Amino acid sequence: MSLRKFLALTRAGIMESLHYRLGTIVTLFANLIYLVLVYYLWKAVYASSGVEQVNGMTFTDTMIYLILATALFNFLEMFVVWDMSRSIQSGKIILDLLKPMDFRSYTFWSYSGSHVVSFVLTFIPTFIVVMIVTRGAIHMGLNLLYFAISVVLALLINFGIEMLVATVCLYTESTWGINIVKETIVLLLSGASIPLAFFPERIRDVIGYLPFRAVYDIPLTVLLGKGGSDSLAGLIKLWGLQFIWAVVLYVAGVLFWNHSVKKITVNGG
Amino acid sequence: MADEAILMKNVCKDFKVLNRHEGLKGSIQDLFSRDYRTVSAVKDVSVTVNKGEIVGYLGPNGAGKSTTIKMMTGVLEPTSGQILVNGLVPYKDRTRNCENIGVVFGQRSQLWWSLPLIESFKLLRDIYLVPQKEYEDMIALYRSLVDIEPILHKPVRQMSLGQRTLSDILAAFLHNPGIVFLDEPTIGLDVSMKSKIRDLIRGLNKEKHTTVILTTHDMGDVDALCRRIVIIDKGKKIYDNDIEHLKSYFGSYRTLRMRLGDDTWEERVIDEKTTDVMEVISQMQKTHKIKDIQLQEISTEEVIKKIYEGGSL
Repeated sequence: MSLRKFLALTRAGIMESLHYRLGTIVTLFANLIYLVLVYYLWKAVYASSGVEQVNGMTFTDTMIYLILATALFNFLEMFVVWDMSRSIQSGKIILDLLKPMDFRSYTFWSYSGSHVVSFVLTFIPTFIVVMIVTRGAIHMGLNLLYFAISVVLALLINFGIEMLVATVCLYTESTWGINIVKETIVLLLSGASIPLAFFPERIRDVIGYLPFRAVYDIPLTVLLGKGGSDSLAGLIKLWGLQFIWAVVLYVAGVLFWNHSVKKITVNGG
Repeated sequence: MADEAILMKNVCKDFKVLNRHEGLKGSIQDLFSRDYRTVSAVKDVSVTVNKGEIVGYLGPNGAGKSTTIKMMTGVLEPTSGQILVNGLVPYKDRTRNCENIGVVFGQRSQLWWSLPLIESFKLLRDIYLVPQKEYEDMIALYRSLVDIEPILHKPVRQMSLGQRTLSDILAAFLHNPGIVFLDEPTIGLDVSMKSKIRDLIRGLNKEKHTTVILTTHDMGDVDALCRRIVIIDKGKKIYDNDIEHLKSYFGSYRTLRMRLGDDTWEERVIDEKTTDVMEVISQMQKTHKIKDIQLQEISTEEVIKKIYEGGSL
């Protein structure tokens, strides 16, 4: 019966996102500007290096990676921290706490609709454009299915990170700074702004085990058929890392939230 | 047991508050301070509410009303004492408790802002797992009580405050909960909307035998809806009885109005037990000309005001 609750929230989320259609167009436009910038930046990097391949990636590889990373970023981006800090300050959070659902799943499913919309309206169009421009540089096969599985895990991990940081809001009541720090760390260490191949090897070894990589780098690696994801063993290794982090973040998030929610003092009223 | 919607026994709630220091230096000190003090928001409150009752829950700002409501809804855990809502311990069984309560906060909306009202209703129907038949009956009941056609397909953000409050109340009753908490439902509304909302609440209470806990600062709401009121001040329960009883409880007060020579009305609130009405009139007559005299029952508003101000006028 829970499924009925979840799908109702997804449905409402889709309707709400579609309502702000102008926002979607603006996002697409902003992406375009950002990607032009990225294009010239990396063109300069490759021109100055004087070689075809930098860290095993050609210019085209890097561009495909970064364009898809941007699209994936738009798709996976969540505003849990931001929304939660606002609803704590305004006291509105009490209305969410009074829904006959576990708060965590209520929050997750409330956001699910907007993910569906941004997947269809930003990720898929970007993917198609990349396909056309690169004339099929991305292999189309089972890797799409593997990618889908990887993305779902990435979504759960990203939500786990968001919820952990959002729970901190219950203590600080101000989250702007914390949120900026979180976003910077995620963007830098996840591969969303610089392909992880460009990091020095030692740092890369460490980053390889962190949860941030599991959000952007692993799904992209799987999609592009790199990093050993063309073999079943390599694939399971990548999925395994994602899965472990999803579970760890879930357990940590639930424990932290349950402990913290008792301290909650809802403002006003 | 079966007749009690809410049972509160010796409930206390303490908060730990950081002692803040003044000035920039103080703010920096506060970063490392472990200097807490305990504030008692609710002290030893016992209340029993029967099923189907409408109880006015009153008290001045900061008296501990919201804290009590948050404990009854399960958001806060009491420091000590016992609470049972529909036979459940709210903070232990929060999700199940939520299935059987509805809430309206006059200043906040639980509706989905950009969607038409009907979509919020459908969503709540699914979240509360209301069977389709019951949902349709409820909508039919709403239609019979208020004219919901004009707002049903209107996005919530385009509604006036009155329409939004009305919608929020309907949303709170949608899953036919045993208890509905209304926290200042008529705040900021015009006179006709207020009376519309009061009629709606009364109608729903009558049809569905829903227990209603109403907090408000508008005595018009209390007079129109509640037979029983509970007043708390500084965390303590100071009154719990019928509304009629209230007027005589703190002395037999009446308002004496006198129209003086210059056609202005002079008002005095008099405790008939300690003051002689005739005495006041004759005193006044010595200095002024009195054209007209009225002796009125004191209004609930004035009694409440007296209680909040500490009993003396």
